[in-house]
Amino acid sequence: MSSEITLIGRIAPVLAEGLYMTLELSVLAIVLSALWAIPVVLTLISPRRPLALVARAYIEVVRNTPVLVQMYFIFFGSSILGYRLTGFVAGLIALTLQNGAYIAEIYRAGIQSVSQRQTESGLAIGLTPREAFWVIVFPQALRKVVPSLANQGVVIIKDTSLVATLSVAELTFEARLLVDRTAAVYEIFLTLALLYMVITGVFSGLMRLVERRLRIVQ
Amino acid sequence: MQPPAASAEIEIRNLSKWYGTHQVLKSLSTDVRRSEAVVLIGPSGSGKTTFLRCINLLEQFQEGEIRIGGESMGYQTDATGRRRRRSERDIARLRAKVGMVFQSFNLFPHMTALKNVALGPVRVNGMARREAEELAASLLARVGLADKLDVVPGRLSGGQQQRVAIARALAMSPKAMLFDEVTSALDPELVAEVLDVMGQLREDGMTMVIVTHEMAFARAFANRILFMADGKILEQGPPAELFGDPKTARLQAFLKRFREGHQL
Amino acid sequence: MDLLIASLPLLGGGVWITLQLAVLAAMVATVLGLAIAFAQLFGGLVLRIVAEAYLYIARGVPLLVLLFAMYYALPYAGIMVEPMSGGVLVIGLYFAAFMADVFRGAMLAVAQGQWEAGRAIGLRTPTILVDIVLPQALRVAGPPYVNTLIMLVKGTSLVSVIGLSDVTFVGRQIIERTLAPFEIFGAVAAVYFVICFALSRCGAYLERRASFVH
Repeated sequence: MSSEITLIGRIAPVLAEGLYMTLELSVLAIVLSALWAIPVVLTLISPRRPLALVARAYIEVVRNTPVLVQMYFIFFGSSILGYRLTGFVAGLIALTLQNGAYIAEIYRAGIQSVSQRQTESGLAIGLTPREAFWVIVFPQALRKVVPSLANQGVVIIKDTSLVATLSVAELTFEARLLVDRTAAVYEIFLTLALLYMVITGVFSGLMRLVERRLRIVQ
Repeated sequence: MQPPAASAEIEIRNLSKWYGTHQVLKSLSTDVRRSEAVVLIGPSGSGKTTFLRCINLLEQFQEGEIRIGGESMGYQTDATGRRRRRSERDIARLRAKVGMVFQSFNLFPHMTALKNVALGPVRVNGMARREAEELAASLLARVGLADKLDVVPGRLSGGQQQRVAIARALAMSPKAMLFDEVTSALDPELVAEVLDVMGQLREDGMTMVIVTHEMAFARAFANRILFMADGKILEQGPPAELFGDPKTARLQAFLKRFREGHQL
Repeated sequence: MDLLIASLPLLGGGVWITLQLAVLAAMVATVLGLAIAFAQLFGGLVLRIVAEAYLYIARGVPLLVLLFAMYYALPYAGIMVEPMSGGVLVIGLYFAAFMADVFRGAMLAVAQGQWEAGRAIGLRTPTILVDIVLPQALRVAGPPYVNTLIMLVKGTSLVSVIGLSDVTFVGRQIIERTLAPFEIFGAVAAVYFVICFALSRCGAYLERRASFVH
C-alpha cells in the first residue's frame, strides 16, 4: 500500500505539470485557430478570384498533409532559417495553421447555410453589404457552427499530444518519461488515457452549455 | 354499429392504443366488408391515421383484436388467456395480404418503377423474376404508366410516383388496401390521376380503407364514412347520411369548418 | 536538390510502409466499424453499451497515446508485437470508431418510410436491409467514408514516433543527418498530399452521385 502511495507521490506532480502544459497549449491553439480562421474564411469567400484561390490552396495543402509533418517542417525549418523556434511555439503554429483551415471551412459552411434572404432583408432596410454580413449573417452562422467547433476543439486537444515529439513537456511526454523511470506502465497509461478523456469530456460539456445558451438567446 | 358480417374482410374489435399514459385509440370496433370502401375523416389528432396503421401493424396496439380474412393480426390469445405477439413471419405474411399506400409514396429511389413493383412478388411470394416483371408491367399499365417502366422515382411526378406505389401494393394481390392521405402531398393538378386509379380499383371490387381530408372525394367515393375524434368513432354511415344530417355536435362543427373553406 | 534525389530510395521504402499501413488499417477500421455500427443499430442493450464505451474512448484519447500504450505496455505484459502489426491494429481500432459513426449516420439517413414501405408489402428485416436500405445507405456513406480514410492516412504518420519506418520516420532520419528540412519534409508532405488529395477527389465524385438518391 505504501509503495503505491509513493508511486502516486512520484507520478502526480510530474503529470500535473504535463497537464498544465497540455491545457495551456490546448487553450492557446483553440483560441488562435478560431481567430486565424476568420481572415482565412473571409479570403475564401471573397469575390476576388485570385484571393479565394490562394485561401483554397492553403486549405487543401494543410488538410491533406499530417499535422505531425507540418510540425517537423516548421520546427526543423525554423532552425535552418536561423530563428530557432521552441517545440512549443513550432507546435502551436502548426496546430493553428492546420486547425485554422478546418475551422475556416466550418465558418464557411455556417455562413453559407444562412439564407440569402437574410442578407437581402438587411440590404433592403439600408445596411451596407459589410454591415449586413457582420450584424445579420455572422451571428446566425456562429450559432449554427458551435457543434462542429466543439468537435474541432476536441481534435485540437488530442493533437497537442503530438508536440511530445518535439520534446515539449506536456502530458504525453511526461507520461512516457515516467514510464521509463518507474516501469509502472499500466497505471501511467491508464491515468494518461483517463486524463485526456476527462479534458475532452469537460470541454465537450462546456461547449454543449454554450450551445444551449445561444439557443435560448435566439 | 353494424352487426358483424360473415364475410368481413377486416374485423376490428375493441382496439385500444396508448402512447405512454395517453390513450389515442379508445376501444374501436368495426367491420370492413369485402369490396366495401370505408373512408375515415376527422380533425387532426383524432387518431384516424394511427387506426389505419394498426391494421397492418405499422403501429402496435395494446388491447383488442384485428382479423384479416379471419386471421388474427399481430397478436394471439393463447390457451391461458395471455396475449402474445405472433412470429415475425406470420406478421409479414399477413401484411402482404393488406396493401398500403403512403402519403409520402415511399418508393425505393434506387430502383426503376418496374423493379419497385416486382420486388414484393419476387422476395415474398417467391415468384420467378421474369414472371414478376411481367406482372409488374401489366400492373403499371393498369395504372396508366406503361411507358415509365424503366424510370426511377426521382424522374417521376408526384402523381406518377403515387400510382407506382399503388401498383406496388397491388402486386401482392392484397385482400384489402389501406390509403393514408395519399393525395395530401400532391400538387392539386396531380390529385385527379390518383383518384381515378382508386376509382378503377373500387370498380374492380377492391376492399378499401381510406384516410383523407378531401371531403368532396370522401362524399363521392365512400360506401361508408367513419367520423373520428379523440380516438373514438363518433358517427358512421353512408355519405348522404353523414354529410346531409350530422347527428353529433362535433361532426356538425367539423363539417361547418370544412364548408367555410378551412383546410383540415 | 541532389540530396532529395539521393534520398529517393529511402523515401520510397518509407512510402511503401506507409501505404501498407494505410491499406491494412483501413480494412480493419472498415470491417470493425461496420460491426460496431450494426451493434449500435440492431444490438441488445449490452452490445450497445459496449459500443458506446468503445466510441467514447476512441473519441477522447489521442491516437499517439494509444500507440505508445501498445508499444510500451504490451511487451511489459509479455506480448511481443511487431511494430507493423501493432500499428495496423491500433490505427485500425482507433479509426473503427469514426467509421462506425459514418456507417450509423448513413443508415439513419435512410428515411423511416423506406422501412415501412418494405414492411407493408410483407418483407422481413434481412430482405429490407439488403434490397432497400443498404444500397441507399452506402451511397450516403461514400463521402464521409472517404474523409475518414484521409484522416487515417494522415494518422499513419504517427507510427514514426514509435520507430516504424514509414515515410515520416525516414524523413526525420534523413533530416537529423543532413539538415535539409524544407526539401525533405516538403517531399514527405507531398507524398501525403498526393494520396489524400486523390482520395478527396474521389469523395467529391461520390458526393455528386449521392445526391441523386434523394
